[in-house]
Amino acid sequence: MSTASPSAEPARPILEVRQVVKSFGGAKALRGVDFTLYAGEVHALLGENGAGKSTLMNILSGVLTADEGELLIDGVAVRFNDPREAQAAGIATIYQELDLVPSLDVTANLFLGHEIVRNGILDNAAMRAGARQRLAVIDVDIDINRRVDHLSIGHRQVVAIVKALSGAPRVVIMDEPTAALTASEVDSLFDIVRGLRAKGVAIIYISHRLEEVPFVADRVTVLRDGLVAGETAPNALQSDLVRLLVGRPLDELYPRRSTKLGRPLLNLEHARFRLWHERSGWQPACGVNLTVHAGEIVGLAGIMGSGRTELLMALFGSGLPGAWEGVVEVDGQATKLQSIAVARLRGLAFVTDDRRGNGLMIRMSVGRNLVMSILRQVTPFFLASPAKEAEVEERAFRQFDIRPHDATIAVGALSGGNQQKVVLAKEVVGEPHLLLLDEPTRGIDVGAKGEIYARLRELADAGLGVLVASSEMPELIGLCDKIVVLREGRTVAEFPGGIDEHSVLAAVTAKEIAHHVG
Amino acid sequence: MSDSTPQLATPASVGKRPQRVDLLAVAVRFQSLIGLALVSVGGIVFSPVRHGQILFLAPDNIANIIRAISETGIIAVGMTFVIITAGIDLSVGALLSLSSVLTATMMVSVGWGLLPTLLTVTLVGAAFGAAQGLISTRFQLEPFIVTLAGLQVARGLALVVSGNQYINISYGDGPGLAPPIFAILGERLFNNTVPVATLVFVAFAVIGTIVLNTTRFGRYVFAVGGNERAARLSGVPVSLIKISVYAITGFASATAGIVHAGQFNFGSANDGTGYELTAIAAVVIGGTSLFGGAGSMIGTVAGAVMLGALANLLQLNNINAALQLLATGAIIVLAAVLQSLVRRHEGGSR
Repeated sequence: MSTASPSAEPARPILEVRQVVKSFGGAKALRGVDFTLYAGEVHALLGENGAGKSTLMNILSGVLTADEGELLIDGVAVRFNDPREAQAAGIATIYQELDLVPSLDVTANLFLGHEIVRNGILDNAAMRAGARQRLAVIDVDIDINRRVDHLSIGHRQVVAIVKALSGAPRVVIMDEPTAALTASEVDSLFDIVRGLRAKGVAIIYISHRLEEVPFVADRVTVLRDGLVAGETAPNALQSDLVRLLVGRPLDELYPRRSTKLGRPLLNLEHARFRLWHERSGWQPACGVNLTVHAGEIVGLAGIMGSGRTELLMALFGSGLPGAWEGVVEVDGQATKLQSIAVARLRGLAFVTDDRRGNGLMIRMSVGRNLVMSILRQVTPFFLASPAKEAEVEERAFRQFDIRPHDATIAVGALSGGNQQKVVLAKEVVGEPHLLLLDEPTRGIDVGAKGEIYARLRELADAGLGVLVASSEMPELIGLCDKIVVLREGRTVAEFPGGIDEHSVLAAVTAKEIAHHVG
Repeated sequence: MSDSTPQLATPASVGKRPQRVDLLAVAVRFQSLIGLALVSVGGIVFSPVRHGQILFLAPDNIANIIRAISETGIIAVGMTFVIITAGIDLSVGALLSLSSVLTATMMVSVGWGLLPTLLTVTLVGAAFGAAQGLISTRFQLEPFIVTLAGLQVARGLALVVSGNQYINISYGDGPGLAPPIFAILGERLFNNTVPVATLVFVAFAVIGTIVLNTTRFGRYVFAVGGNERAARLSGVPVSLIKISVYAITGFASATAGIVHAGQFNFGSANDGTGYELTAIAAVVIGGTSLFGGAGSMIGTVAGAVMLGALANLLQLNNINAALQLLATGAIIVLAAVLQSLVRRHEGGSR
């Protein structure tokens, strides 16, 4: 199966994982995973959220220890009790939430934990010289005296990589390194990866972006439900990869599309959301043309930083210091959507991507959470009405099949998929006309995804308009009737649902994909 | 911004904005110094004048200001370390009181010499702080709660040891008398100009500045407050650093307690109330973020001096204590708002 080294099979892999098992409480995250890595290869590790990618990565980098199974480096069994032991063994990890100290400058970050000290005093000149030298290896111009939180995301990524490489590691693990990068930054990153590979470094490249795999990987291993679903060549067909990832053909996962559209519920023409203060890392909408009809599911595509979340939040009037300009019509009437109260009054509801942070009162019961946004309806004369609450809860449990069927347990005790159903249900019980969703299936398993898709389609069929932002391209293509592409706060393209992924990706990254392949 | 040049070249994408941000950031960076300058100018302009002399600038008055702030200043130096790690220490005022009681008791009732007393009291202070740090890291408790409990414990111990009595310190040779040299803490040196208490504060500030800015320990303090996880993964001994900063505030509070005993010639279980808030105020006005990861010792010193100068100016003009509190409150809010503005412009790190 190995395509990277069919002719000269190396004697021994640099890293071997044998039958590794890891459980959290009752849930098995890894159920006996095998994985091998050879020097000088880029081995892509793919998998849906919840497939076990991060667990495996955390075991390799010493953050977690395996319950069962073996890790071998150069054929010798090892066990890491903390991240430093993994680093000492030559495994460097670049985490997705970059492990940098934002308030320190680039030099201080590069030398954190390994400061150069002379007579008890930090030798800043020597460290600056060292930092310059290390950055020179990678051809990117970064001011070493700049605080890290004043750098672009791409530059932070570079600093994190350079920091990870300082111990001259033999294995580098990259966790979703392109998730926050612009197209040209992705190119620079791939150059860095190829440079490392040329030096004989072995790289585990974790991603859920199938489209970048052919450009960077030598070998692909797909994880599903805590097991290796298969190994394949990087140029395998997308449909084959998807089948490995999802475990069944795509068309079973997604409901059929809508056939008849109602009146336009949301209409944006040359709409821009002007923030009163500029914020770094915030991409306001600056030219959006978009219509969502009743009965329609519209997808918002775009890389991270393209302004997807920002657009949804601005539509929901989420207390942002700013105002809409241009045409903004809800149900045919112009509106400014200046506050959450107004947005709700107009029939909008917003389902956040951060269910634990923004969506749910995690320690409160499922029932309390379900009525949270419609308290006025269940509290006649300012008094809580258990009967009305029970009625709403019962409806939500039945409609969304939330399990277990018990409104009194803390919502934090539910599985991710059921928590996501609660977040969704909590908005739907308010009977909105237009549902805004940000990453509605983040971090939940495939089965729960399918249920969420089915519910969204039912809601649309009942006359709701649905606007879904997602970073998962297959989801947008499979679920939506129409896909709108955002780039730097502007709508740049519109596609019908079911279109091929390459066309959407080209619009998303503003790049000819063919340019890479050819 | 055009579509054709994506983000990698930072100068182009950031180029327009920083001008204003930098001004604001600079203003915040030096807010305590600017505030100090403003208060000083205000002091000169609004100072009562007697016999043609501006009272605010009279050598005696200046000596008064810097003497009055020395105790909270010493504590604020320690507090700066704690707050940069995103922690807080509420026990400092009570610990000062306990230390003043211990100092007086040891020298007067127990009859210990100067050095053993000073060593013991400062060690007890450091150990008290370290214990709070240990409890907070070991059991993953908020320092707010742990040091709030520490405040009660220290105050309780002080009451027990002193029997809720002032323990007066008399000087001389013999049993029940403190070594006369100890009284120097209440005096002034250099032609009767510079209070000794202030010199202790200056020594703390200088050493604190050096430790914070030029040593590995200082760098780790910033790292722990800036991103604890990153610090841990980089091999920084996070728990040890946290325990150490509470040991430092404990040591500083004990020293302030000794200075207190020396200045007033007694130990009392009821002194030092509210000192923790004054010290925290000095640190925050000095530009150190309560969210951790950023701050400056020089700012803290300027913040402490500014608060003292302001209180002095209001006293000189016979403005009542209630208005002094109002003015201090307004300044703290102003300092915090300025920081929040900068943070919002910079985005990200909360």
